[in-house]
Amino acid sequence: MAPSSRSLADDIRGRSDAELVDLVLARPDLARPAPADLTSLAARASTRASVQRAVEALDRGHLQVLEALVVAADPAPTRVGETADEPTSVGAALPVVLELLGTDDEALVRRLVDDLWRSALLWRSADGEHVVRTVNEVLGGTVAGLGPPMRELRSSLVPQHDDPVALRAAIDEAPDAARAMLEKMTWGPPFGVMPTGRAGSSTARWLLERHLLVPVASDRVALPREVGLALRHGRLHQASQLVPPPLEARRVSLVDEVAGGAASTFLTQVDELTAAWGAAPPRVLRTGGLSVRDLRTTQLTLDVEPELAAFVVEIAYAAGLVADDGEIVPVWAPTADVDEWSSTEAGHRWASLALAWLGSTRAPHLVGQRPGGAAGAVNALGPDVQWPAIRTLRRSVLTELASLGEGEAVGSEALLDRLMWRRPLRPGAVLGEAVGAIVREAEWLGVTGRGALSGAGRALLGPVGRRRAESAASAAGSSARGDVSSGLATATAGDLDEVAAAMSAHLPAPVDHVLVQADLTAVAPGPLVGSLASFMRLAADVESRGGATVYRFTPESVRRALDAGWTAAEFIETVRRSSRTPVPQPLEYLVSDVARRHGQTRIGGAAAYVRSDDESVLDTMLASRDLAALQLRRIAPTVVVSSADPRVLVDLLRDNGFAPVHEGRDGAVVHVETPRRRATTRRRGPGPAVSPVDLAFTQTLVTGLRAAEATADERRAAEESRSGPRIPATDPVVTLSLLRDAVAERHGVWIGLSDQVGGTTRHLIHPQRVEGGRVWATDEGGQEKTFSVHRITGATLEG
Amino acid sequence: MNDGPLIVQSDKTLLLEVDHPRAEEARRAIAPFAELERAPEHVHTYRVTPLGLWNARAAGHDAEQVVDALITHSRYAVPHALLVDVADTMDRYGRLTLEKEGFADSPEGTRLVLRTTDRPVLEEVLRHRKIKPLTGERIDDLAVVVHPSERGTLKQELLKVGWPAEDLAGYVDGEAHPIHLAENGWSLRPYQQHAVDGFWHGGSGVVVLPCGAGKTLVGAGAMAAAKATTLILVTNTVSARQWKDELLRRTSLTEDEIGEYSGARKEIRPVTIATYQVLTTKRKGAYAHLDLLDARDWGLIVYDEVHLLPAPIFRMTADLQARRRLGLTATLVREDGREADVFSLIGPKRFDAPWKDIEAQGYIAPADCVEVRVTLPDGQRMAYATAEPEDRYRLASCSDAKLDVVEKLAQRHTGEPTLVIGQYLDQLHEVAERLGAEVITGETTVRERQRLYDAFRTGQLSTLVVSKVANFSIDLPEASVAIQISGTFGSRQEEAQRLGRVLRPKGDGRTAHFYTIVARDTVDADFAAHRQRFLAEQGYAYRIVDADDL
Repeated sequence: MAPSSRSLADDIRGRSDAELVDLVLARPDLARPAPADLTSLAARASTRASVQRAVEALDRGHLQVLEALVVAADPAPTRVGETADEPTSVGAALPVVLELLGTDDEALVRRLVDDLWRSALLWRSADGEHVVRTVNEVLGGTVAGLGPPMRELRSSLVPQHDDPVALRAAIDEAPDAARAMLEKMTWGPPFGVMPTGRAGSSTARWLLERHLLVPVASDRVALPREVGLALRHGRLHQASQLVPPPLEARRVSLVDEVAGGAASTFLTQVDELTAAWGAAPPRVLRTGGLSVRDLRTTQLTLDVEPELAAFVVEIAYAAGLVADDGEIVPVWAPTADVDEWSSTEAGHRWASLALAWLGSTRAPHLVGQRPGGAAGAVNALGPDVQWPAIRTLRRSVLTELASLGEGEAVGSEALLDRLMWRRPLRPGAVLGEAVGAIVREAEWLGVTGRGALSGAGRALLGPVGRRRAESAASAAGSSARGDVSSGLATATAGDLDEVAAAMSAHLPAPVDHVLVQADLTAVAPGPLVGSLASFMRLAADVESRGGATVYRFTPESVRRALDAGWTAAEFIETVRRSSRTPVPQPLEYLVSDVARRHGQTRIGGAAAYVRSDDESVLDTMLASRDLAALQLRRIAPTVVVSSADPRVLVDLLRDNGFAPVHEGRDGAVVHVETPRRRATTRRRGPGPAVSPVDLAFTQTLVTGLRAAEATADERRAAEESRSGPRIPATDPVVTLSLLRDAVAERHGVWIGLSDQVGGTTRHLIHPQRVEGGRVWATDEGGQEKTFSVHRITGATLEG
Repeated sequence: MNDGPLIVQSDKTLLLEVDHPRAEEARRAIAPFAELERAPEHVHTYRVTPLGLWNARAAGHDAEQVVDALITHSRYAVPHALLVDVADTMDRYGRLTLEKEGFADSPEGTRLVLRTTDRPVLEEVLRHRKIKPLTGERIDDLAVVVHPSERGTLKQELLKVGWPAEDLAGYVDGEAHPIHLAENGWSLRPYQQHAVDGFWHGGSGVVVLPCGAGKTLVGAGAMAAAKATTLILVTNTVSARQWKDELLRRTSLTEDEIGEYSGARKEIRPVTIATYQVLTTKRKGAYAHLDLLDARDWGLIVYDEVHLLPAPIFRMTADLQARRRLGLTATLVREDGREADVFSLIGPKRFDAPWKDIEAQGYIAPADCVEVRVTLPDGQRMAYATAEPEDRYRLASCSDAKLDVVEKLAQRHTGEPTLVIGQYLDQLHEVAERLGAEVITGETTVRERQRLYDAFRTGQLSTLVVSKVANFSIDLPEASVAIQISGTFGSRQEEAQRLGRVLRPKGDGRTAHFYTIVARDTVDADFAAHRQRFLAEQGYAYRIVDADDL
């Protein structure tokens, strides 16, 4: 720390490497692009954009302290012995800050002030802390709902008008009507419209006469800051919240089991979705989404509530499992990735979905809503579901949950309170709904179980879960750009494995059998293994879902399987193989009965025939032991059938010395192939390559800055040796802040101005205002001139 | 992971793996609040409904126990939402109570009061259009007077809006009458005793026992407990006679103490057995026999076959809320979906016997159920294809092709007592002619009927052809083979009744055979599928064979 700092730049130059690393980590935007030296780092730290970002990232505690510092730093002329020109020393005014905050916890406030200093919203000099000037702009005219100070509102300030004692006296003697009017404005907004009624206007006049209100326009009045503070009894905030509101956690058990159950159900739903869309892909709307009717169909297929259906669809999309196939008549179809995805182990499948959710910038809960003024509802997979802020919020929610102990759950109300505290300046209107949706989605997905973060949920957050909550949230905030796939792109493979491992242990073990019963139901007492699951989905209707699945064989479902190329024999054989209980006779009967009516010439489900005019050839075949596996059966003197595939039959017969030829399919069973549409894989580029602002990077950066600073020091020394005003080449950002300072302090500035031929001329100017890249100033001759900032090579204060 | 026998599904069904070693334990734990929906051989399906949960509350179980039962026996994690829902639903019961205030001998007499512990709930229900007129003046924030005559209707309406009231208003004792069980050489089976106790301690309610498990005895036991005049409502006259016989045999009641109030006789005695039919008979637009309900100061009212209780009886029952009511049934599931009325007007389920327990004790014989499919001859297929839809069922049912099969089956079981049951008289006569057997239809006189039954019982006749009179005829003798050639569309009730004919345990332990002959590829087969599903869900395995394979 440099006690002799005269500006933020001085302060920053005086910081240690560790402190600089802290600063850049807290405000990563300062490092993009890498600043040339510490001076430009300081200048960048005081630009409006950067300060705005830093202030918005403050939690309510820090924000309240910052506001108190701003108000306390405001020169109060009534304090005898000080003049308005002299900046107030906050160090001396710490009691004032404490009083404004209504707290006596000096250590806490000091700690918060230190934090603000570390993130360079303050700089320190011998006389105390100074709030960076841009902060005032960012916070706007009404700090904490207080109006502007009296001296800004009135050109001619009469000292006793803002004397607190006099104000207090005036307020105390105010009639009830006037008091009521004041109380309405006490906690902001500090501006009001002049009442029009007679009684109202006389009350307002009473207040105006005593300078408790100040007119700001013909019909508008303002409550001056001093009056506001007096009304607030010296407190700045209605309730000071320097520490986060507590998260009232309740203990729940079986978190991982419940999460595992939810995860398993969710995987089944995605499976069903891709199966359904693979068979009958829905159209892509012209505007790019999924039609309401198709979503409804999907919802019925999955047998879930509408919100969950939209969520499943959106997550499948985010994970790249379904996509617009890009054909002339585009449809939403499973991508080629689905086949690979479904063949991996369940934990991995879940991990890829969960990571896609975490990184997605889409907000599925918006589906079906009608945003203000819009004619139609938001379509799933449509562009309106895009809402980048949701990603940051999602991470924040999970980070808060991660801050609780294991098996501790918290309601979404408390979470919302906590998040509002963390980011008081975030527009809060839609926050409640979004937080509710995130909590719900996390539960569906199995990231949480019974409201508490599951082990897999923790693994999902990865190192972020272990970092301090604030920095995690702001780090996520800065990268809240890019498209949906970047979430996957930035997640390393290690993450995926770790998450998968964390979930695998809690997923119900897949079962490879069903229990078939006489009422033609089959119960799968757990998630089925892949091939059996698809067979059951095809051959039976789902009646009940959950930990187990209840299937019912109906004539329609059996027919569906036969349509898909299954023969009755294959069907029964598969059921027999997969059933742990004997296959009931009625089921066999049902299958063969349906098969009989399925347009077969003969009951029995023959799939191939061998025809020959030479009966002895057929006799030989039937007698051949090598062909027993084909289960050849003679149905006419010249015809033998088999339930084996004709191609198998042909191959096997050839191998055994016969010379069969493949007969055309005329008159034979026409098998409908399962439509298996696959879209080309959506091109998922690497996403915006954001190398993180991490410790290593920052250290390199700081070393670079040091070197540059050394060069700059040398240059400065050389300049020092020259006579006359020296004008170092400064970064435009530095120039701007210097000019702004000059405007505020009515100081003269020496500037170097490059002319059209590349020469540099010097001018001593008195800047009036800086706006839109231009400086309005009076030059040495007293003439008003405009200078373009981009032509100013450097600037230095006069004298 | 817990290796329980129960799987809790998200649609609130519970799957119970029967072969699991801990299945019985789990069954006992969930029985109080879940209704058995299907009971095929391996996995039984229970359903958790609000009504079931309230039944459990009424029986003294709390949400904690229900949740605990689910979690303890569940194989996978129970969906959190379901647990919350269970707790919420159960919490709704008992927020409203019906109480009696004051003393009978005070000048004001007693009054009925609807009281709540939760004011918003009372406000909510009192704003309801249908509930408002049932209540009188407001006593205070938490209570309102109820017209005594509206006690039942109010409970019904409250249940509809999801705030079931707990009825604590008590019962009148009724006119005392000494009744006790004549336990000479027999005694109530343990489950019957449990049922009587459960009912008596609960005050009013329904006892669910499978067919043939001795529901009449539970009724007799309840009467012996009440020791008061009793009105018994039964489905038909035959059933009334059976009740009378059973009561004479099993209790201290004598012929003079039991009256029959039916189309034929109108006796009102300390114990009166009336049919639903006579109560619902209207004369000049009014129920002619309503007075019966007030004819005596009944201390107990027994409803036989609650699942068949007709709607007008419900309305009459609404006025009888001060009397003890016992409902007896094999299933709480009503085809008309009025289970809620049973709950609110007669009372919650007080006892539910596990089917398997009773089966294991040998009260129900296993039966070999076979469906025989016949193929219609070409000519009939053409006739069927071109027939009007309303004639198709008859055409398919009465196919000649079935006659051959009946003959074949009768031959196979020569000498065994065989019943051939059908719907259409022409067909029955044709069959009788083919088999050389006697026919009993609605036209057969009682004397003739009795003669044939006796002959069948003694073995003089081995085959009887009967119409649907057999559905209700209680004195039909025991048979070991039943052949069903046509039925009333897809009636599951009828299927169960007919199966019941052969289910009585045989003296010599013979297996019973139940054949249904169905015409392939017709509506007959569709209806048959409906009935079979019912049988399978009751735990009866069945086979399907082609007529040609017989």
